[in-house]
Amino acid sequence: MENLDFLLQGFLVVFTLENLGATLLGCVLGLIIGAMPGIGSLAGCALLLPLTYKFNPTTAIIMLGGLYYSNMFGGAFSAILLNIPGDTPAIMTTLDGYPMATAKKRPGQALLTSNISSFIGGLLGMIILTFTGPALANVGLKFGPVEMTTLLLFAMTSIGWLVGENPVKGLILTLLGMLVASMGMDTLTGSPRYDFGNIYLLGGVPFTPFVIGIVGFSQVIMLMEQRNIAPKLVTDKLTLRGSMLTRRDFKRLFLPSIRGGLLGTFIGVLPGAGATAASIMSYSAQKSFKSEEPLGTGAVEGIAACESANNGAAAGAFAPLLALGIPGSGTGAVLLGGLMLWGLNPGPLLFKNSPDFAWGLIASLFIANIVALAVSWGVIPFLVKILSVPTKVLIPAITVVCIVGSYSTSNSMYGVTIMFVSGILGYVMQKFKYSYAPLLLAFVLSPMLESNMRKAFIISRGKVEIFVEKPISLAFVIAIVGIMVFPIIRYFLIKKGFIKPKAKI
Amino acid sequence: MKTAETRRRGFTVNQAIPVASVLVAGVFIWLGLSKYGFWHDQQGPMAGFYPTVIGFGLLAMAGLGFIFSLKDSVPVFPKESWMAVLGGLAIIGATFLIGLIPSAGLYVIVWLRWYEKFTWKTTLIAFAVIMAIVVGCFVLWLQVPFPRGIVFNAILK
Repeated sequence: MENLDFLLQGFLVVFTLENLGATLLGCVLGLIIGAMPGIGSLAGCALLLPLTYKFNPTTAIIMLGGLYYSNMFGGAFSAILLNIPGDTPAIMTTLDGYPMATAKKRPGQALLTSNISSFIGGLLGMIILTFTGPALANVGLKFGPVEMTTLLLFAMTSIGWLVGENPVKGLILTLLGMLVASMGMDTLTGSPRYDFGNIYLLGGVPFTPFVIGIVGFSQVIMLMEQRNIAPKLVTDKLTLRGSMLTRRDFKRLFLPSIRGGLLGTFIGVLPGAGATAASIMSYSAQKSFKSEEPLGTGAVEGIAACESANNGAAAGAFAPLLALGIPGSGTGAVLLGGLMLWGLNPGPLLFKNSPDFAWGLIASLFIANIVALAVSWGVIPFLVKILSVPTKVLIPAITVVCIVGSYSTSNSMYGVTIMFVSGILGYVMQKFKYSYAPLLLAFVLSPMLESNMRKAFIISRGKVEIFVEKPISLAFVIAIVGIMVFPIIRYFLIKKGFIKPKAKI
Repeated sequence: MKTAETRRRGFTVNQAIPVASVLVAGVFIWLGLSKYGFWHDQQGPMAGFYPTVIGFGLLAMAGLGFIFSLKDSVPVFPKESWMAVLGGLAIIGATFLIGLIPSAGLYVIVWLRWYEKFTWKTTLIAFAVIMAIVVGCFVLWLQVPFPRGIVFNAILK
C-alpha cells in the first residue's frame, strides 16, 4: 500500500503543465519516430536527448520515457501498413498485422488491435513495476562494492553475450566500450589518463554526441542502401469509424494481451533480453494456445501476443534501470546516460534520495500509456501520410539533426567530430554484424564498474577470492559463468546431435 | 546497387575490427602499465589498473574474434552509402566558412534538389520543415550559440 501512496505522490509531480506537455511531446515524437522504418527507439532517444537539456531532470526523463514507451506503439504502424517493422520489437507484428491489413482488408482494426494490446501489456508492466521496483531497490541497498562489481559484470556479460548473432562480437564491443569510457579522468583520483595530449579528451568522450553518432548518424549511412526501395503501403482509406473493433475482436485480443504483458514484463526485467525477445517468445507461446484463425494469416491473437509483450517489456525494463542502475538494453543505456547527465544516480538509493523523480517517472509511464493510446488512435487517419515520407527526405533531415544536436550538447565542433567519427564506426560495426547495444551499455556502466571494482580490491587487498566469498556476488559469478558456458555447451550438443536446433519462426 | 554479402572467406576486411581491437588493447595496456600505474602496495589499484585488465580481456576476445571472422561472409560497402558521410563532412567544412545553420540549410537544398533530383516544390517544403525544426528547437528554444563562420563574422564586424 505504501507504494500506491508514493505512486499518488508521483502523479502529483507529473500533473504540472510542463510535465504533462513533456509526456505528450514525448509520446507524439515517439509514435512518429517509431512509425518511420529504420529509425527506432534507440536512435529516437539519442536524437532527442539534446532537446531535453532545456528541461529540469524530471521533465526531461519523463519526456524520454514517454518517447521510448510510445515508440513501441509506433513500431507497429509500419509493420502493419508497410510490412516493415518501424523498430525491431515490431518484427513479429508483421506476421499477422500485414496479412490482416491486406488479405483481410482490415488495416484500421489491425492498428487498433495493436494499440489496445500494447496498452494492456504496458499497463500490466507498469503495475508490476510499481510493486517490484522499490523491492528491488531494497535488495540493492544490501549491495556493497563487491556485489555491485559482479552485478555490473553480469549485466554487461549478459547483454554482450546474448545480443546479436555472435557472443564474441558482443564481448569485443563491451570491452571496447569500457576502454573508451576510461578515457579522460580517473574515476577515483581525478587524474588525467588516456587523453593523448588532447585538451578535449581530458573530459573524456562526451556521451550524447557519441550516442547520436553510433546510433543516429550510422543509421543515416545505412538508410542510403534502402533509399531506392519503394515500400508497398496499404492504400485503403483509414478512418476512425472504420477502425473500430467488434466485441468478438476484443474477446480475441484480451487473453493473449494479458499473457503477453506478463511474459513481456518478466523478460523486460532481465538484462539482455529486451522487447524484441519478449515479442518473439510471446508469439511462440501463443502458438500453444487456441486462436480462432491460424497465426500468420492475420490473426488478432498474433498481433495482440507480440504487441502486448513488447510494451510489457518496455515497462519492465524500468525496474532494474531505476532500482539498480542497470539498463536492460541499448535504449535503457541512453536513458541511464541521460539521467547521469542531469546529475541523477539511478540505483538502490534513487527511491530514497529522489522519490519525486523515481515515482514521477513511474507515474508518467502510466500517463504516457493513456496518451500514447489516445494519440495512436487519433493519428490513424493521418498514418498513410506520415508513412509516405520518403527515406530520401529523411536522410538529410536526420543528418542535420545529428550535426546540430551534437553541436548543441558541447557548444563546440568537437562534439560534431565525435558524432561524425562514431557514426562511421557505428556503420562499419553494423556492416560486420556487431550490435552496438553492448558498446553503449558498457560505455555508460564502465565508470560505475571501475569505481566498485577498485574499491572491492582495496577492501580485499588485491584478493580475487572476495568475489566468491560473499553469497550474492557468488550467485552473480555463477550466473556469469552459466551465461557464457550455456551457449557453448548447447552448440556442441547440437553438433553431436544430442539436441535438435530450434526451428526458426 | 550491390548490397548483398559475398561468400569470400579467409583474410579479408572482416578482420579489421579484431585487428583494430588488438591495437587499441595494446595501446591501453602499454600506457596503463608504463604511464598510469597498475598496482600500489599501499593504495591498491592505480589509474592504469582497470584499463589494463580490460585491455587484456579485449586482447583475448579479439584473438577469438579474429579466428571466427575467417569464416564470416564479407559485407559489401556500397559507394552510395559514403555520400552521406561526404554530406556530413561538407556541412562540417562549410561551417568554418558560412556557419553551421546556413551550411545545414544549403546541404538540405543541394542534397534534395541535385542529388536526389526532387522538384523545387518538394525540396523547398522539406527545407522549410527541417529548418523550422532546427531553428525553432535549437536556435530559438535552446538558444544554442551556433558558429557563424569566417564570412558572417567578417560581415558582422
